[in-house]
Amino acid sequence: MTDLLFLAFAAVTIGAAILAIEARDLVYGAAALGIAFLGVAGLFFLLDAAYVGWFQIAVYIGAVVVLILFTVMLVGPKMGETPLGLKRVSLLAAILVSLLLGMTGALANATAFPGPDSCGSGCSLTLLSTSLLKSYGVQLEFMSLVMAAAVIGALALSKTDRGQ
Amino acid sequence: MLGPLQPLVDMITSPLFLMIVLFPGLTSIAIIGALLGWLERKVTARVQLRIGPLYASPAGGILQMFADLIKLSFKELFVPENSDAFFFIMAPTTGLVIGAALVGLIPFAPGLQIANIEVGLPAFLAIITLSPSLVLLAGWSANSKFPFIGGLRALFQQTAYEIPLWLSALGVIMMAGSLNLAQIVAAQSAGWFIIPQALGAFIFLVTSVAEMERLPFDLPEAESEIMMGWQAEYPGVLFLAAQGPGFVKLYAFSALFTTIYLGGFLGPSFLPPLFWMLLKTLVIIVLIMLLRSTFPRVRLDQLLRAGWTTLLSLAIVNIGVTYLLVVGLPTF
Amino acid sequence: MEPLSSFFAVSVILLGIGIYGLTTKRNAIRILFSVELIYNAANLNIIAFARLRSPPLVTGQVLVLFTIALAAMEAAVGLSIIILVSRLNAEIDLSKLSKLKG
Repeated sequence: MTDLLFLAFAAVTIGAAILAIEARDLVYGAAALGIAFLGVAGLFFLLDAAYVGWFQIAVYIGAVVVLILFTVMLVGPKMGETPLGLKRVSLLAAILVSLLLGMTGALANATAFPGPDSCGSGCSLTLLSTSLLKSYGVQLEFMSLVMAAAVIGALALSKTDRGQ
Repeated sequence: MLGPLQPLVDMITSPLFLMIVLFPGLTSIAIIGALLGWLERKVTARVQLRIGPLYASPAGGILQMFADLIKLSFKELFVPENSDAFFFIMAPTTGLVIGAALVGLIPFAPGLQIANIEVGLPAFLAIITLSPSLVLLAGWSANSKFPFIGGLRALFQQTAYEIPLWLSALGVIMMAGSLNLAQIVAAQSAGWFIIPQALGAFIFLVTSVAEMERLPFDLPEAESEIMMGWQAEYPGVLFLAAQGPGFVKLYAFSALFTTIYLGGFLGPSFLPPLFWMLLKTLVIIVLIMLLRSTFPRVRLDQLLRAGWTTLLSLAIVNIGVTYLLVVGLPTF
Repeated sequence: MEPLSSFFAVSVILLGIGIYGLTTKRNAIRILFSVELIYNAANLNIIAFARLRSPPLVTGQVLVLFTIALAAMEAAVGLSIIILVSRLNAEIDLSKLSKLKG
C-alpha cells in the first residue's frame, strides 16, 4: 500500500515538476508547480511528517502559487518566452542532470538505507512543538525578524513603483 | 457464502465506506447542499417580507432546489470561445472535491468521522487555502472582463482573511492543547470554548464568512456590480459546480465552528450526539444567512483594510488574552 | 515501508530538474519555479535523512518548517522585484536585462 502510494506521489511530483519547467504557457506551469508541491507534501505524509506536509500545502499552494499566478497574470502570460539560442548551456544542463541521475542510481541501493522503522514517539507532534519553541526558540525569533524584513522590503519595492 | 463477491460485499458494508458514501460523506453533502440553497432563499425571503419558494412541493417549496438542479442540468453545456477549456472545467470541479474533503474532517458524533487525523484543524485550514488559486484560475480561464475582476477580488479577499482565520483558531488550539478535532471536542466537556474565546469566535465567524465569499463579503461574485464575477461565463451543469462549493463550504465551516467553539456533538444525553451536532450547525448556518440578508455589501478597500489591520490586531489580542487564561500571569 | 533511498532518488531528480531549469530558461518567473523546486528537493532530503536514525530526529522537521517559511519570503520578494522590473523595462527575459552591464 505504501509502495503504491509512494510510486503515485513520486510520479506526480516528478511529472508535474517537468511540466512546470517545460509547459509553454506560464499559467499551466504555475498550476503544475502547485501539483508538484502537493506531491512533495504527500511524500512528507509518507515520512510521518504530517504537520510539515500540511504546512507545505498551506504555505506553498496557499501563498507561493497564488503569488506566482498573480504575477503571471499581472506581467502577462506570454512575456519573456524567447527561445534559447545557447546550445552550450543546454549541453551543460544535460550533463548535470545525467550526472545527478547517475548518482541516484548509485544511491538507490536499498541495503545502504533501510526502510525507516515505525516512528512511534520520535515523530510526535508534542516533541515537534517543544523542539520548535524551546530548543529553537531563538532561531524562530530570528526567522520572524527576517520575515518582517521581507515584508517591509516587498512593500518598499511596490511603494517606489507608485511614486514614479 | 457469496464466493468471489465476498470482498466486494465486505467493502460496501464496511463502516468507512458507508461513511464516505452516505453520511457524513458524498450523498448527504449533495442533499444538504441543495437543501441549504432552499433554506437560504426561504430565510432571505422571510427577512424581506416575501414568501420565497412555495410551489415545488407541499412543504413550503422544499423541492425547489432539486427542480432547479434538473433544469440546470438540461441546459446546453458549452465552453466559451477563446477560453481556456482545461482550467474552465477543472477549477469548479476541483472546488467541489475540496469542499467535500472539508466535511470529511469534521467529527459529527463519536466515531462518525471519515478522517480522524492528528492535525485535523490545520488540515482543514490548509485545504481552505487551496480555493483562492482555483477561483483565480476559473476567472482567468473564462477570458472575459468580469470573471477576471471577480477572480482577482477573490484572491485579494481570501489571502487577506486567511491570516486572521488561522490566528483566531490558534486560541482554540491553546485552550484545548491539541490539534485533533475530536480531542478539541472532548476538551469542551467542561465548558464550550465560545465563552472564553468570544473574541476569537467573532473573528473566526467574520473571516470564515469572508472566506466563503458570502454577503456582506461577496465581492468576488457581486451580482449587482460584476454579474456573479468569476461565475459569469459558466453554463448549465458547470454553473452548478461553480455554485456548489459555496453551499458545501457553508456547511463545512458551520460544522467546524460548532466543533471548535460550541462543543461539537456534546449535549444533554436524552438525544443522540448527532442531533446536537446538526442542531448547532443549523443555528450557525441560519445566523450566517441572516447576516446575508441584513448587511449591505462592503467596499473592497474597506474589506482589505479591516482584514489586514482590525481583524489581525484583534486576533493577536485574542492570543494574548488566551495566554493569560491558559498559563496565567507571566512571572519574571 | 519504502526504503529511504527511493525518497533520496525523488529528491535528486527534483534537484536535477531544478538545475536544468535554472541553466536553460531565461524567463525570470521560470527561474523562480526552478529555485522553488530545488527548495523542495532539499526539504524532502532533510525530512528523509531525519528518519534515518532510530528514534528519528525531530530537528529535521523543525529545519524544514524554517525552510518553507524562508522560501515563501523569497518568493514574495522575488516576485515583487519581477513585477517592478516588468513595469520599468516591459521585459522579464533575463538575457535582455543588461542595464547594469558596464
